Amino acid sequence: MRYLKTSEAAALLNVSPNTLRAWERRFGFPKPQRSPGRHRLFTHGEVASLRDALQEGLSISSAVSRAREGLATDTNSLTGALVSYESERADAAMESALALRSLERSVEEVLLPSLEEIVRRHTIDSAAWAFAAHWAADWLRRAKRLAPPPVRPVSIVLGDASRDELDPDAPFIRALELFSVRAGANMLSLSVRGVAGIGDAIAVHRPNLVVIAGGHVGDDAVARWAYAVRIAAGAMPVAVYRRGPQRVRMRSTGTSVLPSSASEAQRRLLELVETDQGGRVTRVTMESPYGIQTGRRTASM
Amino acid sequence: MTNSGRTGSRGALALVPRSVEAARPTIWFCGHCGKRPSAAGPPASNARVCDSCGLGLLLETVADGAPERGGAFLVLDRSLSVCAVSHGAETLLATTETDAVNHHVTELLVPADSESQSGSNLAAAVSSATRGGEEPLSVFVRPANLFGVRMRARIVQCGPPQAALLTFDNPGG
Repeated sequence: MRYLKTSEAAALLNVSPNTLRAWERRFGFPKPQRSPGRHRLFTHGEVASLRDALQEGLSISSAVSRAREGLATDTNSLTGALVSYESERADAAMESALALRSLERSVEEVLLPSLEEIVRRHTIDSAAWAFAAHWAADWLRRAKRLAPPPVRPVSIVLGDASRDELDPDAPFIRALELFSVRAGANMLSLSVRGVAGIGDAIAVHRPNLVVIAGGHVGDDAVARWAYAVRIAAGAMPVAVYRRGPQRVRMRSTGTSVLPSSASEAQRRLLELVETDQGGRVTRVTMESPYGIQTGRRTASM
Repeated sequence: MTNSGRTGSRGALALVPRSVEAARPTIWFCGHCGKRPSAAGPPASNARVCDSCGLGLLLETVADGAPERGGAFLVLDRSLSVCAVSHGAETLLATTETDAVNHHVTELLVPADSESQSGSNLAAAVSSATRGGEEPLSVFVRPANLFGVRMRARIVQCGPPQAALLTFDNPGG
């Protein structure tokens, strides 16, 4: 889920932060969560939905009402289809979401929240989650196959440290892959369990950046994989994505921790690569916890 | 042949489309506090929130039908659902906008002129306004479930999107 600070949400709605806080008191919408520092964090979906509703509304109240309905409809429709084990209806719900939103927003505002809702209501041991996770993985794979070919000189290797498609992080990782591919990057996703022969994959793909995503596989196994990548490709930037809450405050100065939102993580990835390619950062020789030296890559790409 | 010199009176023969001939001055106002924005001209579509109270959207209506600042008025859509309730109307009708919005207007107001066999005047006037009727219409209404009260209200079109503006005349009087 993508979050906005009060000033960002107010700018998106073209109102002052005080007005936004007044709406929160009067209408209870958009309803922010709180950061660890007690700052308001608004979900992008709510704010964007309200922005759209305001443009066609007669009052703030009616716009809030419409935004609430609009948000709930697609998510509820998809959630309902998935818990009913109806994949065709789930496909139709996503088609409906895509009629109103970009693919990225549909994934972030409808698909992923629906999956989170199913995990919350049914737990990850349920048949409902098994069906939903499988459907989501399939849907995201299909969307990725339909993405245009890479247009950027950006190559990313993603080390998948999630358990399997039933891992609640897996859809977010697939979403990150999808968004990166749609942004024009060349993406190679490999399980961190597969170390043997990694050099061949690296030689073919020649990555600019490595992402380690998911929190199921332990640090030792991840470190072995990362070391093998480093041997094959040399030093390059490394980022971690949804590696668990303990990694949010990683002490390393070399490893970038990506935001949990797939779209924000994708943007951050491209920034990292472009910064690295532009040589605007000085080389950092400190090793990351996963053994990959960070800093500008010396090999020609 | 020219239309010059005919301002203020409608000619028997209309040589130009009626909408142009009948163009009337319009103004913008806040759908909650009634304040008119300081900036002249229509606001941008993404900048319609009142910069004074922050609780209403700017709406356009004909100049002679616009409410006063702090006035009591409602905005209704063509299905006669309440879309906006001004601060003054909240006080007058003892409700809040958040409670009233999306409810049928008859949950707040009912016609009070049944003796004149025009019990549907309210609905007809709102429908006319939401269809673009240009002339202000007057109706007598009373709050639902409250007898012995009779209030005169003017109904004109407003928007965007097209809707009806029901303004209470001298609610305190």
